Amino acid sequence: MTSQQGSIAQARVLGRRRPSRKPVRPGDILTYLLLTIAAILVLMPLLWMFSTSLRPIAESLQLPPAWLPTDWRFENYREPFESNVPFLQLFINSMQITVSVTIGQLITCSLAGYAFARLRFPGRELIFLLLLASLMVPGQVTIIPIYLSMVSWGFMDNPLAIILPGLISVFGVFLMRQFFKTMPQELLDAARVDGAGQLRVFLQIAVPLSGASLATLAIITFNSVWNSYFNALIFLKSWDKMTLPQGIAMLTGYMGAGNASVVMAAVTMAILPVLIVFIIAQRWIIEALTRTGIKG
Amino acid sequence: MNLTRQPLLSPKRSEALTAYLFILPTLFGFAVFILYPIVESIRISFMDFNILRGSEYIGLENYIDIFKDKRVATVYGNTFVFTFFAVFFNAGVGLLLAVALNRRLPNFIRNLYRSIFFFPLLVAHTYIAVIWQFLYHRDLGVLNYYLGIFGIAAIPWLSQGNWAMVAIIIMDVWKNTGFAMLVFLAGLQNIPTEYYESAQLDGANGRQIFFRITLPLLSPTIFFILVIFMIGALQVFDTIQVLTRGGPGDSTRSVVMYIYEKAFQRFDLGYAAAVSMTLFAIILVLTLIQFRIGRRWVHYE
Repeated sequence: MTSQQGSIAQARVLGRRRPSRKPVRPGDILTYLLLTIAAILVLMPLLWMFSTSLRPIAESLQLPPAWLPTDWRFENYREPFESNVPFLQLFINSMQITVSVTIGQLITCSLAGYAFARLRFPGRELIFLLLLASLMVPGQVTIIPIYLSMVSWGFMDNPLAIILPGLISVFGVFLMRQFFKTMPQELLDAARVDGAGQLRVFLQIAVPLSGASLATLAIITFNSVWNSYFNALIFLKSWDKMTLPQGIAMLTGYMGAGNASVVMAAVTMAILPVLIVFIIAQRWIIEALTRTGIKG
Repeated sequence: MNLTRQPLLSPKRSEALTAYLFILPTLFGFAVFILYPIVESIRISFMDFNILRGSEYIGLENYIDIFKDKRVATVYGNTFVFTFFAVFFNAGVGLLLAVALNRRLPNFIRNLYRSIFFFPLLVAHTYIAVIWQFLYHRDLGVLNYYLGIFGIAAIPWLSQGNWAMVAIIIMDVWKNTGFAMLVFLAGLQNIPTEYYESAQLDGANGRQIFFRITLPLLSPTIFFILVIFMIGALQVFDTIQVLTRGGPGDSTRSVVMYIYEKAFQRFDLGYAAAVSMTLFAIILVLTLIQFRIGRRWVHYE
């Protein structure tokens, strides 16, 4: 607080930018022009997706493209569910994998993150360093032995092949550790003086206070698992086990280019959960991504 | 309550025991799904590995074959071209947008634009590739339609090698530059305003301020973005797999796509493991080189 007041005072002294009626400069016009063009370029493919999803199938690829939906054919959205592609099943499969992995990581990462941040034990720094070093290894290096393990355990074409390796995350441990390190020690000490054991301190003090970081981890994990394609392509082979990205990638070939409306309806529905999460938790996501510097 | 006052273990030991229990799930998963696979992958890379007819050690043969394999040269060439342009344009466009957003704008407008630029980041590469596949269609695509209005002949976006690579890079920048924008914007907002004020007092113009103050102070952020985007781009898979399937021919096939093909379509797991080791080595070496060069141009306060 004091530093903020200080800087405000300083700003007054320096006569820093104050909201005054300055003439519109050519630079400002250029800024708006650039931003608006960029925003249009970003939005156009998404708008095209949406309006195409509502067009009659026969006109789905008609040119010039209609940027706004003209017809509102909502039955296009029913089509994926009624086609030979088990769209609802794909949706359920993706949800099952994504939710399992997210819950699993919330548990394992918060436990380990807390231990590395707050508990003393022999080998702490060494083990943590080992975990961090493994972040350098690209996933393609580990996927072949994991594949062989899954084959020998009989987990091919089984969601467990994707869920099990996803239950832990070095990145998640790192994220939670950084958070628990900033938690005031007095809070934890106070509970300990009252005779609470380590587990109780963790469950009743640390976890309830870490809602924002747990939400951050949950959002990042949810989004990356919901969107992941590489592992699903390797492990899941039959239609009733596949995930949504896999199914939609195949849908295009299956339906043929003539059925763009139905494909776009399917894509729109697949993006919907992400859009909802984005609208609800936008500020957290942006902050988390900025701070931790990982890609979605 | 009484039990905790007379613990069986000393407090120090009990704390350590709790800690080990807390990290046990992570360590177990780490051992089974990260550590063991790394070691095993190295071992497999020295084998002629076949699930059906059995495997045998063949020493360095896989690695020697990699040097003879013309397709390896092709896929590495493609991956480097993609990486160079994707990193350059993602960082460049991201910086441009961040600088624009950092100018004097109403907060509402800034947040709106930021959200728009950022959203594609959350959408799966797969879905984006499916959408763009239609946009890039030679005869029915939206892109060629509008280019046609300006008298530009239909571009074979996905059916001609070089154009297919251009198409992949454009789509990648469209999706990922928002991340660079986000990080650059945060970096710009962290630059203390005092620097700008004293520069203005000294009579520096906009361009001087940008090149003498903004860029040097932003250099750690730029460095971070270059490293992160490079590591990501070297492992590109999803977008290309859906958009072009590596084609036409091998003209857009990436290293990871080649590993995927060798391992999971041809089941030549030993060779695929060896290729994955070369990719790991190249990522490590390029990252180290970037850190080396970075020392010369990155200014830490």
